[in-house]
Amino acid sequence: MLLTPIASADVVLVANPNSGIEKLTQSDVINIYLGRYRLLPTGSTAVPIDLSDKTEIKAKFYQLLVDKNLAEINAYWSRLVFSGKTRPPMQIDNVNDALQWVANNLNALAYMDRADVSSDVIIVFEWPSL
Amino acid sequence: MINTGKWKRWRHGLIARGLFAVFGVVLLLAAISSVIVSSTVNYRESQQAVKALNELVAAVASTASIASFTQDEQLATEVVQGLMSNSDVLRVAIRSTDKVLASAEREHANVSLTKTGNADQIVYPLTSPFQRDERIGEIVLDSDWSNINARVNKSTKDALLIQIGQMTLVVFIAALIMFYLVVRPIKLISDRLHSLGGSSGNLLSVPRGHAKSEIGLLVGDINDLTGRLVATLEQERDLQRQQIIARRKYQNLFDHAASGIFVANRRGQLDSFNRTFTRLTWFPDSESTEPRLLTEINWRDPEQLLTMLANSLDGKNESTEYQGDFVLSGRRGIDRWVNIAVLPLGDGNVQGTISDVTQRKQEEISAKHQAITDTLTGFANRIGLQYALNELSSSTPPFALVMVNLKGFKQINEAFGLHVGDQLLFKVSTRLKQILSADDHAARVDADEYVLVLKGEQERNAINQRMDQLLQLLNQPYAIQTADKHNNISISAIIGIAFFPMDGSNLNDLLRSAELAVNSVENYNESSYQYFDPAQQTAVEHRRRLEDDLRHAVITNELQLAFQPIIDISVGKTVGAEALLRWLHPEQGMISPEVFIPLAEQVGLINQIGLLVLEEACRHSAGWRESGMDIYVSVNVSAKQIPNGLTPLAVQQALERHNLSPSAIVLEVTESLLMANVAVAQSWIESIRALGVRIYLDDFGTGYSSLSYLKRFPMDKVKIDKSFIRDLYIDKSDRALVEAIITMANSLGLKVVAEGVEDEQQLAILREMGCGCVQGYYFSRAVTAAEFGPSLLRINAELAKDMDVAG
Repeated sequence: MLLTPIASADVVLVANPNSGIEKLTQSDVINIYLGRYRLLPTGSTAVPIDLSDKTEIKAKFYQLLVDKNLAEINAYWSRLVFSGKTRPPMQIDNVNDALQWVANNLNALAYMDRADVSSDVIIVFEWPSL
Repeated sequence: MINTGKWKRWRHGLIARGLFAVFGVVLLLAAISSVIVSSTVNYRESQQAVKALNELVAAVASTASIASFTQDEQLATEVVQGLMSNSDVLRVAIRSTDKVLASAEREHANVSLTKTGNADQIVYPLTSPFQRDERIGEIVLDSDWSNINARVNKSTKDALLIQIGQMTLVVFIAALIMFYLVVRPIKLISDRLHSLGGSSGNLLSVPRGHAKSEIGLLVGDINDLTGRLVATLEQERDLQRQQIIARRKYQNLFDHAASGIFVANRRGQLDSFNRTFTRLTWFPDSESTEPRLLTEINWRDPEQLLTMLANSLDGKNESTEYQGDFVLSGRRGIDRWVNIAVLPLGDGNVQGTISDVTQRKQEEISAKHQAITDTLTGFANRIGLQYALNELSSSTPPFALVMVNLKGFKQINEAFGLHVGDQLLFKVSTRLKQILSADDHAARVDADEYVLVLKGEQERNAINQRMDQLLQLLNQPYAIQTADKHNNISISAIIGIAFFPMDGSNLNDLLRSAELAVNSVENYNESSYQYFDPAQQTAVEHRRRLEDDLRHAVITNELQLAFQPIIDISVGKTVGAEALLRWLHPEQGMISPEVFIPLAEQVGLINQIGLLVLEEACRHSAGWRESGMDIYVSVNVSAKQIPNGLTPLAVQQALERHNLSPSAIVLEVTESLLMANVAVAQSWIESIRALGVRIYLDDFGTGYSSLSYLKRFPMDKVKIDKSFIRDLYIDKSDRALVEAIITMANSLGLKVVAEGVEDEQQLAILREMGCGCVQGYYFSRAVTAAEFGPSLLRINAELAKDMDVAG
């Protein structure tokens, strides 16, 4: 029983319901999370929230998003970090804090298991169910 | 000089040639390969440079794409600077979709670009690190070809240097190998060959390590060849030795031969000659090295010898020997005759032998001279005359031939002896010489006959002068000394002249013509000269035909005897018959004995005819005697028959053959017969009469009619010539003469026969004169043997009737 939620955990991206954001494309999500653009369709700058590497959901998220593992994602960011211009998303240790951050910040975005989604946020991007 | 020689030898040596060849080939290969190498190295290096740049770009592509993805100029700049650290990069830029993120270029970029253009620009597309299909920018890189080319050139140069080094090494090694494997052994063999004597039997040794190589085989072959050469040389040497021995033998023969020997070519160039040759030909010494010539010899006629050489060389048969006698003109006029015989050698030369034949030649000449010379006078004889005429007739006609005949020479010889005759002839020749010019010839062709050949004479006036002069000379008396006294002898010469070639084209014809001319003088009975007249020739020819006919007539019995009765008028009876020769020529009819008897005497037929007549006379006489007629037959004898034509023995044998008594035959001789040779005639007559055969003296009264003859020569009867009888009753002197003869004869005890009694008157006179016998037409002409019997009966009958009348 324990294994079932993880295996079938749906990763969704949530935003503040007041942010004006209704839906994002996967491409929008890639651009925002991997530092290309952070400008939202609303015109404001998105603040993506990354989870700790310890969380299972983070690996799943990047795997689904760009088909890369966390080491690759970290290597990517390590090259950019050196220049200092583009920074990786802000990292929060647990989902609850992430939820809290999105609920409190209009431009924040966070990914999580669908099961963890609260009513304080809205899902703006999700992978279609398998 | 020596160095040049060495260099030349070296230059033509195998090493040098091999090296030149290898070096040439290597050079060619090097040239070709350096082209190939440089182009391949160039290409490869260029490709590598391009590939390296592409790889370099590819290596930085992920970082660049991240930079482009994130528009991170900082990162892009770092990538660009990283690329620029490659010296092959001239210029580089990283572009995102909308802007240049970073770029860099070298200082000389502008110069290089203008050169190379954009041909070698690498444009590497950058895609999103997360979405491969999304292009997000590009890296644009220009390569620095000046740099690449410099490097490529260096590489190429290095490669070439290495190759040249290798090849030089190869050449050097090849030369070394060639030298040690080929050249040195060959040089070794060559040196040994040089040190070997040409004919020694030494063998070459094989250079070490070459026992089975081609060099070894070569040495083997050379040794084989040397062996065979040595064997051949040995044979050659043996042959030479034999030849030398043989040559020495022949050289000895050649040098010491008694005959002169020489070898010469057509032009007379001498190849060799021996000592005898030099001695015999008086061959002059010569220091010259030029070929000696046969013509250097002092020949009287050098062309003659060269002609013989040419004939010998041109002759078809090589074994035919040509030879001839040649005269050498010697010093002091002493000539030498040599005989030279030549045989062609087949190489354009002849070998000749030469021998001294002077003695033989002199003997020949002397013999020839004797043969053609009259020893008494020193003139040519008939043969000599022939030679002289041969020469004359072939060179300078015309000329006159003068025949001088000494009349009565025979009588002088007889009267004074041969010694005087010879002296006379000698003196005559001396006088003849006085009218001869240098070109004239003189010959004595018969005992009393000379011939002069007057060269170039054809004008009769000139000849007449000389003949007058000659006759005057010859007619002078000749003073001839004999043992007991001094004689002055005169002789008359008669001369006949004939011209060559008009009167005869050869000696015989000329002599005959001259003789005819002489005869025509003789007929005039005076000392004179006459030219040949063709009419004489005609007469002679007629006579010659007659002569032929006469010879024929003797054989075919055309000659017949006729008989004229001889009547003894004192007894009135036919006592004999004179046999008269008749010739009934088949074409010309009856020919007179006066014509053909002299002819027969001249051509020597008279003896044959005489014997024939005697034989016939005996036969008929015997016949008549058998039939009871006691008749003698008288036969005329020519002077030419005495003494050998009609010998007493022949007469005796004829009588015996027909069983006749000697009284059955009478021989009639003439005074001229007695005169011709008194002694011979006398003894002949005596011999005949000794047989019992009677001799009548015919034609008495026509010649000397000396009664002393009648005393000297014992005769039986005298026949008075008919010329006296014919006019007996008209001419008183004839009558007196006949009467005197008859009286004298009677007084000598000789009977007389009167010939040519033609009528009764003559007969009456003769009878009155006391003439014993008569013959003539009055009684009978000469009749054939068959008619003779009847004639005799008729005559006797008539005489008996007359006697009766007279009685």
